[in-house]
Amino acid sequence: MFNAIEVLQPTFIEKPLNELWQLISPLYKADEAAWLKELLPLAKPTESELKNSTDAATKLIEKVRKDDDSMSMIDALLLEYSLDTKEGILLMCLAEALMRVPDKETADAFIKDRLSVADWASHAKGSDSFFVNASTWGLLLTGKIVTMDEAKDGKPANLVNRLVNRVSEPVIRKAMNHAMKIMGHQFVLGRDIKEALSRGKNYREKGYAYSFDMLGEAALTKSDAIKYLRSYEKAVEVVGKDSYKKGPRPTISIKLSALHPRYEVGNEERVMSELFESVKSLLIKARKVNVGITIDAEEADRLELSLHLFEKLYRDDAIKGWGLFGLVIQAYSKRALPVLTWLTALAKEQGDQIPVRLVKGAYWDSEIKLCQQRGVNGYPVYTRKEATDVSYLACAHFLLQEHTRKHIFPQFASHNAHTIATVTSLSQHLGASTTEFEFQRLHGMGDALYDTLIKTSGTDVRIYAPVGNHKDLLPYLVRRLLENGANSSFVHRLIDATYPVSELVGHPVPLLESRKSLSNPYIDLPIRLFEDRKNSYGPNIEIDSEWTPFKAQIDTFMGQDTQWRAYPLVGGKKVETNNTHTITSPYKLTETAGQIDWADAKTVTQAIDLAEAAFPTWSQRPANERADCLDRMADLMEENYAELMALCHREAGKTIQDSIDEVREGVDFCRYYAQQVRSHFAKPVKFKNFLGNEQTLLRQGRGVFACISPWNFPLAIFIGQVSAALAVGNTVIAKPAEQTSLIAVRAIELLLEAGVPGDVIHLLPGDGATVGAPLTSDKRIAGLAFTGSTGTAQLINRTLSNRGVAPIPVIAETGGQNAMIVDSTSLPEQVVRDAVRSAFASAGQRCSALRVMFIQEDIADRVILMIKGAMKEQSVGLPYLHSTDVGPVIDQKAQSMLLDHIKNMTVKGTLIAQSALPEWADKGTFVAPTAFEISSIDLLTEEKFGPIMHVVRYKAKDLDQIVDTINNSGFGLTMGVHSRNETTCARIASRARVGNLYINRDQVGAVVGVQPFGGQGLSGTGPKAGGPHYLHRFAIEKAL
Amino acid sequence: MTQVQPAQIQTALQSLDHWEQIGIEERAALLRTSIQSLKDRPQHMAEWQISNALTHVGEAVILPGPTGEKNELSTQGRGVFLCTSHLKDDDSEHETALIAQVYAALIAGNTVISAGDFGEQITMLLAPTLPEGVIQSVDEITEDLIIDSPLIAGVAVLTSTDKATSLYHRLAKKDGLLCQLVEETDLVNLPTIANPNYILRFITERTVSINTTAIGGNATLLELGIMEE
Repeated sequence: MFNAIEVLQPTFIEKPLNELWQLISPLYKADEAAWLKELLPLAKPTESELKNSTDAATKLIEKVRKDDDSMSMIDALLLEYSLDTKEGILLMCLAEALMRVPDKETADAFIKDRLSVADWASHAKGSDSFFVNASTWGLLLTGKIVTMDEAKDGKPANLVNRLVNRVSEPVIRKAMNHAMKIMGHQFVLGRDIKEALSRGKNYREKGYAYSFDMLGEAALTKSDAIKYLRSYEKAVEVVGKDSYKKGPRPTISIKLSALHPRYEVGNEERVMSELFESVKSLLIKARKVNVGITIDAEEADRLELSLHLFEKLYRDDAIKGWGLFGLVIQAYSKRALPVLTWLTALAKEQGDQIPVRLVKGAYWDSEIKLCQQRGVNGYPVYTRKEATDVSYLACAHFLLQEHTRKHIFPQFASHNAHTIATVTSLSQHLGASTTEFEFQRLHGMGDALYDTLIKTSGTDVRIYAPVGNHKDLLPYLVRRLLENGANSSFVHRLIDATYPVSELVGHPVPLLESRKSLSNPYIDLPIRLFEDRKNSYGPNIEIDSEWTPFKAQIDTFMGQDTQWRAYPLVGGKKVETNNTHTITSPYKLTETAGQIDWADAKTVTQAIDLAEAAFPTWSQRPANERADCLDRMADLMEENYAELMALCHREAGKTIQDSIDEVREGVDFCRYYAQQVRSHFAKPVKFKNFLGNEQTLLRQGRGVFACISPWNFPLAIFIGQVSAALAVGNTVIAKPAEQTSLIAVRAIELLLEAGVPGDVIHLLPGDGATVGAPLTSDKRIAGLAFTGSTGTAQLINRTLSNRGVAPIPVIAETGGQNAMIVDSTSLPEQVVRDAVRSAFASAGQRCSALRVMFIQEDIADRVILMIKGAMKEQSVGLPYLHSTDVGPVIDQKAQSMLLDHIKNMTVKGTLIAQSALPEWADKGTFVAPTAFEISSIDLLTEEKFGPIMHVVRYKAKDLDQIVDTINNSGFGLTMGVHSRNETTCARIASRARVGNLYINRDQVGAVVGVQPFGGQGLSGTGPKAGGPHYLHRFAIEKAL
Repeated sequence: MTQVQPAQIQTALQSLDHWEQIGIEERAALLRTSIQSLKDRPQHMAEWQISNALTHVGEAVILPGPTGEKNELSTQGRGVFLCTSHLKDDDSEHETALIAQVYAALIAGNTVISAGDFGEQITMLLAPTLPEGVIQSVDEITEDLIIDSPLIAGVAVLTSTDKATSLYHRLAKKDGLLCQLVEETDLVNLPTIANPNYILRFITERTVSINTTAIGGNATLLELGIMEE
């Protein structure tokens, strides 16, 4: 962390560029309080400055409130349907999806679904604005809502519901679509650049300038990227011909994720070549006609990559000397200030000014969510709004310095009167003239404020205005708006005359300083996500300061000179059996990860003898002590993260993110079961029996548990089963999959280190015949946890039942024929992203992976085309490279089974797409991700455990039948649903017989304690791993 | 080889969806309508199984997790259960235990086929107040076929340890899902049946995960920080 106030020294930006660059990444998830303490002095006003800016803001607001006409439609909409009301959200939901629904039935059902849950009637009279009333559906429909008698007709929600049923559906649909168009018109300046230029004229007359934003969804396919590039080029061409003389020329803002389907850190090489060329060609065209280009800011993960790309473009001979190539910086990012210093130094070095739009940031919610999901132990953004405001002012302070503004042209984007007033007074204080910076605002927002400002100050104001087809743009804009619901609240407070002006003009510095803590105490760090246990940690591999040191640690285990040598572990000791097997790396069969001795029948008996003898003592150990061992195990796995990652790569062929998730899941299992044991197994349990008498139970282990685990989660599932069995007091014999025994051995070594006695846990590597059969035939086995195929589960169950002893608990987690149902209200981009991940991540070798995707026929052509394009962008390759999406399958047996299935499906179905394999793919066991269109799920009789997806079209009216056919497969593990219609989601949820149902997301990656995992029917016995009932099945209850 | 499946299984399967969908509260209400006709001990047992189920698996639980998603854990019945006794002696002696099996299986959301004389009695008592096909009774010959059917989810049985062992062996021979055996062999203390966790043997769990930010952020977290003052 650097001393932030130093940026005000002119010498700061004279430091070498590389030195300034080094300041950026470490601040990615900097301690919020510590970093804000650095920023506060930069944003802190003197008493006179504070008075000036407060007075100016007050005057501004008072003027705005006097001038009724200046309230824009969106301001009015936000005022009436504030985004913290249910109706506001529902209105936005409709706007987000309705226009893309092609079929009438689904559109009608969707409208009905949205209308039935809200209190629209209360808004019908709430606003005088035509737009708001136009959006108040009742008026548009029939006008009947306002005339209905609430006393007679009951609650308004019921009223609307009945009204919707009464009025013919096509009428409503038409009205809704009309309302959506009105809304689109308000959010979007023009459907194309010509319309935008023409509609923008009025504002330009008033003195505004424009930056046209060709926003929209990120491109998932190359053809979409080309389409977006063409539309940018067209915009440049048209704007280039603009002959309007008054005020600054319009510029164009571009979104990099629209110009490349893989604008990601993992694909840096492609970004720096392919995307670089696209943007460069656009910049050359823009420069020719002197239309400035601004690169929009996106997610925090892409910040460093975007700066690399910007630098390369900026330094290119074709761009050098232009001065109109700029970018957007988000003040909510902890890295904002060092980025600005680096940019300034870059501009200084080259001598061309860089226009920089300073915004507060538009992805706040997803940044927080993502870090919590990934266990990133910190946030890239501030957790309080006033902290973002402080950062904004600190950045403004730097940008307006005389030594900065020579090199950077600051463009302050804000809709907050106080921010505007403060920036203005700061500029005066620092002697910046009104031509040395400008303000920016969003089309349709902040009209009131800026109409007033533009009349009174000489500063230029630029409107950044979305341009594009309403159908494509509205969903994107609505999502951004919703995401920033909290930030836009200023807008409706501003025009809400009842809200005191004095409360609108508070300076963020005293406000933040008045808080008990600088960070938001209600937003816990990801590590403290759970009240009763520590969350597992995952480094963010998209961020240099996180990834580079982590990678260096992993690399120490990646060379062929590192070979693991492992043996069965019985009684805490290695057993040499001379039955030695070599473990090869699935991505390169000539490379090995190590060697392992397999156990034999003698070792099995020996282990069970010891485990049986150790049971009474272990089972009598206080539950808390057993739990402590698991907590230590969790910590040890995190301490040995790098080695475990390397084993995941080299032995199981897992990709980087998959390996991180693997370790995290193992850590979570240990901590979750430890916590469960402490809460439910440490003390005797009292309950009232059926005769009303109090009874006491003691929950204990059952004896020797056999744990048989698969290769697809060689650490997580392995340690999950073992830790559950140990936690409640069983002793354990674990048999890992023969393909992935090395990591299992390391895990048991760590478990011993964590304090589990050697005679309590035994590890027996080997295959079904050498270890599995003798183990499950032994009469002393008191319980079994198994994860693997349905067939093997049946086989083991039979072996156990042949022993002639009383039945024992068999906890089996087996396969699935997992479906995803996609209706026409869903967002295709999101569907395709989630489907591709669900089907092909981990090379499809997850029990939960998507196998059969059902797409409503009305959108099937479009979605299938996108799947095709997205699959072309999948990179199959070496799992330890960041650029790899899909690694190898586990072994040659799996590979040939999958290739047979592909051959078979080529005849029975129609090939949609197959991703490319690298030239050298035959060196390992690779299977290209493949998608087929088939006529029915009935063509698939068994699970095919690999990267093969099947697609079936269905008619909207047949939805129930589809659910039936999925149920009839007998499997019941996971299902995905993509629909904006909550009624549809609820209907599917209530009928689908699956263990894990995922709505509007991917269907893989269940998290321990958050998404307990396991299926029903052919997919498993339950109870769910990582759920509250799991441990009970490992235990026996004794009455005291 | 295709086996002929007893018609009762088809009926039980068809009734499953509706019985599941009406929810546990409604199932409890329906099961309680006839509870008064039971004798003292069995009645206590039936009521205890119902209220125990309501406490343990009654409501969907919202699980903790990241912002912007909702994760809910609930339970469903496993499917069709056979409830029976394989003890040769008089059923009436074991009425409490038999009642417990049937009520636990039903309240959890399974449909039940019961066997033997007791099966007939309990079906006569419950069938009039429950949706069609939710409870049926069969004779011993049909029971035999049902045990071997791959379509049933489980067998709840009062039995001896030896018989349980051979029944386990028989169930394990079947293809298809792993048929659950929920056996009670201690007819005096009923350690399995009269245990609060007994209900867990009749359920399957379901997790529903909803991405609540699918249409955009939920934008509520920032406001939280303001609450503290």
